[in-house]
Amino acid sequence: MRDVARDPVALERLRAQRSRLADRMRPPWWYLTGVAILYALVFASPFSSRYLPRGDYWAIVVAALAVSCLLQWGLDRATGMKVGPRPLRVLRDGLFYYRPGRPARIAMMVVSLAAIVTEASLIRHGLLAAAIVVAALAVAAEVALQQAALRGIRQDLRDGGGAA
Amino acid sequence: MTGGVTAKPDPFIHPITRLSICGLLAAGADWVEFAALRDAAGISDSVLSKQSVVLEDAGYVQVRKGAVGRRPRTWFRLTAEGRQALEGHLAWLTQLEEAVSASTRDVTQVTASSVNGRTAPRTVPSPD
Repeated sequence: MRDVARDPVALERLRAQRSRLADRMRPPWWYLTGVAILYALVFASPFSSRYLPRGDYWAIVVAALAVSCLLQWGLDRATGMKVGPRPLRVLRDGLFYYRPGRPARIAMMVVSLAAIVTEASLIRHGLLAAAIVVAALAVAAEVALQQAALRGIRQDLRDGGGAA
Repeated sequence: MTGGVTAKPDPFIHPITRLSICGLLAAGADWVEFAALRDAAGISDSVLSKQSVVLEDAGYVQVRKGAVGRRPRTWFRLTAEGRQALEGHLAWLTQLEEAVSASTRDVTQVTASSVNGRTAPRTVPSPD
């Protein structure tokens, strides 16, 4: 068995292995399609709450949750890693360390909120086409931000996750 | 070559394969699947199985076995105890690396001065 004390590149080797592990966190083609469907369902909620009966509205909410769980399960299986919800910052050596995907996560929440509020307002004023355009743009933005968040996770894995 | 090295190595993590396993499990994922860990560490199935049992017995790694259809799936996670041991071991390795590079610097300086002054070095200063 090899001994690290006789291997001066042990830490360098570990960095390379972490980099290989991080490279596995690349989403398959269906993942981003699924994310687009998920956000399409989310941004359809202002329309459905106004134009559909209450039962159909809840069916859309349940479908969005089901798609979200299915996507997470599929990503875990495809990458061989489970990366659950994590705090946006961690305490290390007495200092707060901001995770690399933090700006993308915050932007996702802001875009979601802004898009739903804007859509609701446009629908109230009868501007249905404008509301649909806002929803489509928001879906595209969320997919791009999801890719940025995954890049952040990859960077986090390369750096050691703010842990060891 | 022990100058400035205050941290202690962990006997369970000391072999390089186990260091790789623990280091990868500490990288940030909650659970890592057998094949992903094997490929990232660049080791064989049997080596990973054998070393993971040692780490599991030491309480450093948690193992979860399941199956997808008829295919068995094994997932690994670093325990809090394992994470603490790894942090200590990595601190020791970092100090060791710094001590090695410091002593290499000293040897280079002594060799350079002896070549310039045309005198043979008598002793190599230790890093302490």
